[in-house]
Amino acid sequence: MNPADLIRGGREAADLCFHCGERVPPGTRYAVRAGDRWEPVCCAGCEAVASAIFQRGLADYYRLRESAGGAPQPESDDLKLYDDPAVQRAFVRRDGDGREAQLLLEGIRCPACAWLNEQVLAGQPGVLGASVNTATHVATVRWDPARARLSDILRAVREIGYRASPFDPAHARAVQRAERRSALARICVAGLGAMQVMMYAVPAYLAGEGELAADIAVLMRWASLALTLPVVCYSAWPFFAGAWRDLCTGRPGMDVPVALGIAVAFGASVAATLRGEGEVYFDSVTMFVFLLLVGRYFEILARQRAGRALRHLARLVPEFANRLRDFPRSLEPERVAAAALEAGDVVLVRPGETFPADGLVAQGFGAASEALVSGEARPVAKSPGSAVIAGSSNLSSPLIVRITRVGPETLLSSILRLADRAAAQRPRLIRLADRTASWFIGLVIALAAIAAWFWAGEDPARVVPTVVAVLVATCPCALSLSAPIALTVAVGEFARGGVVVARGGAVETLAKTSDVVFDKTGTLTHGELRLKEVLTHGAAGRERCLAVAAAIEAASEHPIGKALVAAEAGTALRAAEFRNVPGAGMEALVEGSRYRIGTLPFVREISPGPVPRREPGQDTVVWLGGESGLLASFRLGDELRREAEEALALLRSLGVRVHLLSGDGENAVREIAWRLDIPFAEAGATPQRKRQLVAELQKEGRIVAMVGDGINDAPVLAQADVSLAMIGGARLAQQRADAVIVSQDLRDLPRAVVHARRALRIVRQNIAWAFVYNLLVLPLALAGALTPWAAALGMSASSLVVGLNALRLERRPRRKTTASAAPARLAAT
Amino acid sequence: MDILYLLVPLSVALVFLIGAVLWFALHSGQFDDLEGPALKILADDDRAGKSEPRL
Amino acid sequence: MQNNGTYNYTVVRQFTVMTVVWGLVGMLVGVLIAAQLIWPELNFDTPWLTYGRLRPLHTNAVIFAFGGSALFATSYYVVQRTCQVRLFSDGLAAFTFWGWQAVIVLAALTLPMGITSGKEYAELEWPIDILITLVWVSYAIVFFGTIARRKTQHIYVANWFFGAYILTIALLHLVNSAAVPVTFWKSYSAYAGVQDAMVQWWYGHNAVGFFLTAGFLGMMYYFIPKQAGRPIYSYRLSVVHFWALIFTYMWAGPHHLHYTALPDWTQSLGMVFSLILLAPSWGGMINGIMTLSGAWHKLRTDPILKFLIVSLSFYGMSTFEGPMMSIKTVNALSHYTDWTIGHVHSGALGWVAMVSIGCLYSLIPRLYGRTSMWSTRLIDWHFWTTTIGIVLYIAAMWIAGVMQGLMWRSTNPDGTLTYTFVEALQATHPFYIVRLCGGALVLAGMFLMIYNVRRTLQERGAHIDQPVMAPA
Repeated sequence: MNPADLIRGGREAADLCFHCGERVPPGTRYAVRAGDRWEPVCCAGCEAVASAIFQRGLADYYRLRESAGGAPQPESDDLKLYDDPAVQRAFVRRDGDGREAQLLLEGIRCPACAWLNEQVLAGQPGVLGASVNTATHVATVRWDPARARLSDILRAVREIGYRASPFDPAHARAVQRAERRSALARICVAGLGAMQVMMYAVPAYLAGEGELAADIAVLMRWASLALTLPVVCYSAWPFFAGAWRDLCTGRPGMDVPVALGIAVAFGASVAATLRGEGEVYFDSVTMFVFLLLVGRYFEILARQRAGRALRHLARLVPEFANRLRDFPRSLEPERVAAAALEAGDVVLVRPGETFPADGLVAQGFGAASEALVSGEARPVAKSPGSAVIAGSSNLSSPLIVRITRVGPETLLSSILRLADRAAAQRPRLIRLADRTASWFIGLVIALAAIAAWFWAGEDPARVVPTVVAVLVATCPCALSLSAPIALTVAVGEFARGGVVVARGGAVETLAKTSDVVFDKTGTLTHGELRLKEVLTHGAAGRERCLAVAAAIEAASEHPIGKALVAAEAGTALRAAEFRNVPGAGMEALVEGSRYRIGTLPFVREISPGPVPRREPGQDTVVWLGGESGLLASFRLGDELRREAEEALALLRSLGVRVHLLSGDGENAVREIAWRLDIPFAEAGATPQRKRQLVAELQKEGRIVAMVGDGINDAPVLAQADVSLAMIGGARLAQQRADAVIVSQDLRDLPRAVVHARRALRIVRQNIAWAFVYNLLVLPLALAGALTPWAAALGMSASSLVVGLNALRLERRPRRKTTASAAPARLAAT
Repeated sequence: MDILYLLVPLSVALVFLIGAVLWFALHSGQFDDLEGPALKILADDDRAGKSEPRL
Repeated sequence: MQNNGTYNYTVVRQFTVMTVVWGLVGMLVGVLIAAQLIWPELNFDTPWLTYGRLRPLHTNAVIFAFGGSALFATSYYVVQRTCQVRLFSDGLAAFTFWGWQAVIVLAALTLPMGITSGKEYAELEWPIDILITLVWVSYAIVFFGTIARRKTQHIYVANWFFGAYILTIALLHLVNSAAVPVTFWKSYSAYAGVQDAMVQWWYGHNAVGFFLTAGFLGMMYYFIPKQAGRPIYSYRLSVVHFWALIFTYMWAGPHHLHYTALPDWTQSLGMVFSLILLAPSWGGMINGIMTLSGAWHKLRTDPILKFLIVSLSFYGMSTFEGPMMSIKTVNALSHYTDWTIGHVHSGALGWVAMVSIGCLYSLIPRLYGRTSMWSTRLIDWHFWTTTIGIVLYIAAMWIAGVMQGLMWRSTNPDGTLTYTFVEALQATHPFYIVRLCGGALVLAGMFLMIYNVRRTLQERGAHIDQPVMAPA
């Protein structure tokens, strides 16, 4: 239902929301003034957006939306450029018929802003979905290119007073730097002002009665005023701007009491200075602004650090690359922007440099550090044909790489998008804290008004200090910061440990996990065949047999062939006249003799002689025989991951029960369960059966974490409280799990549980601390027992405690990635 | 204490001056990289015998 | 290859050599007046050899001649190397050298003659003050001109310290030396009474803060990393250190005037800010010392590093001692006693002299095209004589000061003083002898240094100026 119909007189639709067109719940009393009449809206949010849009004189927005084709708007800037497919290639990803891009929003100050943008974005015609990450200010938008243009989406954001720009690393870096710079500049101005004003204020506190000459006191006040002016006008500007925006959207955030406090205290002090009598609070004002800004700066740092999973990865992609245009004819490199690379290009990556895109090594041998991308600490050997990942760095020698995927298609981008999608969904804890804070702010302002009224009757001189103290001391900054900071830092830490969180609530649920269910044997094993045993039956020794087998299978794509080649030491026999008999085996000539490898009947066709007895087992056995007789049999099987045992032991030590539900055969499951000491194991389970078992566990009150490959078992994963995937590489983009263990190291699972528990504990501490602090300090402030500067100190201290407490999450004993990151950093400098 | 009529305005002016310098430094990117400069002075090899500058 | 010319090492070499010479002279005078306190007859009944005239000569020689020349030399060197550009003006740079030497020689002539304005650390009369102003303005032009022409984007933190010291000293000198000339060799301060005291100690304190601290911290931030071959422990901290230090130092001055006619609140204010000062000072010290973390073994083999690191320890010690002494109750005991002398020397000898000497030993081979000083063993000897000398000196003064304070303030039950002033003086006698020994040891070290420097200069090969490094 188009809301504009309402304006045109859709009387019969009066019970639909003016803004979003949803049904207005019975008994709701929200309304918005549209032109000259009141229209019903469904919720406070819609009311806020609609009135904000009306207040900005954007009522046309509704009218334009009505005219189905969209009346063309005059182009005032260069937004149209973004519609150019060549430009879009750098940051837009194709997703079926739709397009997906990440937009960096500037001007986001609070969850309400994020929410407003989300609404506006999602409300654009042709937009299929939009979500905004409050922590990183990145919006993920999906749209239908047939019905919407990117420039229109960008403009819609601009029209409600924010700026949206395509999120690409270089730009993000610039925006981030600007944000840091301006925050620092504000802090410095406030800090200098606060120190110096303190200089002028301390004498008044120190001096005894009559010691400080009156004219000197006046001089000090004027000097303080001169220094406080830039602090209030410049440093405190974000608070005023934020408060104004809050008022416009009708959702009081923490900027409102802060701005109010600053304004009241400063106004009263200026008046006192001009009149030459009364108290001045310049020192409190400047100190309050300074401390508050420091708190915010910590928040920015925490956010930027947490986004390090995002940022440091994004930063890793170099801006330039050395393209070899005429490879292999010439090795003359040309400098090009990394963004201009296309699949199929060949680039030269020198030691110490970073790979600009995903690709395959075309020439050269060396090693790469992928620690920052996958969490893998050891250098990964690279030889022609090896895959390299954008963002990882070349450690040893020059490599020539043929690019396979660029820009948003790269593995790196997939990880970034996952991480961002996660942060975009606000976990329950944060929503709760936000709602509480919002409610609390209303209360604080009301109480401040009551206190003002009360003290005006009792002792007018105390009205200003009390009001300021109440507004400042009880500002629920700590409460609003408590959960987001901790969770953002935690997610960043997860990513550094090789676990990318893809859904916002995952950390919280992971912390409470009581049961881990492995939904595949493949999760616990390598998932590929390995040579377990060689039995020789003829005169040839073990090595000789392997060498012959490897020579025959050298070009094989079959898993058995690959396993044999991988197990061979490298004697480099050459084979000729290959013949492949599908389903049976291979035949080839090695050093002039004919050999066969494969099933026993197939090999027996050329190999005479007796057949040795073999023991039954579930492992795969292949035979090797020559014209003189059977030579050897190879037993191949899937091996347990080396770290599986340790990982499971760690899980058990955390009090987590481990289950194995597998679709595989009884033998395989039983062996693994026995070797890993898993008490609850079930073989041959269908997805339905797995779901049912998980549901039963949940009925007992258990919190279930499911570990799988993240792709094939979507219904089972969805049933679990939290799902983790053990996959890497290209399949990352398709996965649907809540978190991905990118490192492919099972031990990261218990580590993640430990870390999640710590994070949750810290969130709880933070919320408890913020609550207790606010409840304790409110009566003190109301009673007039708090001076404004003490209130400022208390408020800032409580925010700082929350922030520092969250940063504790960063310090942890495990230094796996930091250690390996060091050489990379050195190489970069 | 008439001297304060000199020292106090002087201090206000100084703070504004320091603020201005800080502002300039910040916005000209002096504080953007707070690790590299420490290493760069070491890269400048001023020991004797190295009369040719390194490129 | 792009030819960028060469660095101007001439002026650096001139200042470097004169630093050593003036260091020797200043300390020699110091030892003489220390001896005069034990044997007053050492003034030979000559007016211009009396303690009252030689003491300002000693302070001026060590602070402005020795310390000043060291600062000129290192700041000219560091600003060129870190900005990768030749000095802004060779002519003006030469003027600063000859002008500064003229100031020193004039001081050495006028002070013994009794020509003084009577302001501590600013005794020189107005014609010399004008010459100082000219030299200083030229210095600022050369220094900031070089920074303006720099080839690097970033301005290294040492240059910030040097810059702050140059600017602040200009301001301090202008405000404090404002005077009304009466004759060519006599003037009266533009301020009167307690106002003059206030301005004088605002100046005196900041001369310590910016001349003897900020400038030498600039040296420290360049030469410690260079000598250790490791980057400074935390560059971020060094930047914070800079801003915090320059901002807090400015206002701690009144603590020099505890229990005077200065209003009580001003004194208390000075005390509060002095205590705050401790934080940035120690931040800087830790930053410098921790630069060696992980390479402590270098201290065993490199006496130059020993100088630098021990100087930082003395810096930490005296910046702790200073704020303590600014607490009014402590000050009540320490003021006017030899404790203050000890404190000053733990800063001036322990910090300023040792860091300068370390930097000179590091700098001289670089300036004269040699790989090292003529003798490393002599540097080691210099280090030990200096360190032991300083420890003797400050320990003696510390004990003497506390003793004096206690004797001066002790009273009999009837309210009369327990000790006469002379009794306290007699009790101090042995400590004066220890102090003289300490001073003589430090002086002996300077002789070792000048010999070492001479041999190094004699042995030098062709000392060409180094070409300017092509910007990376």
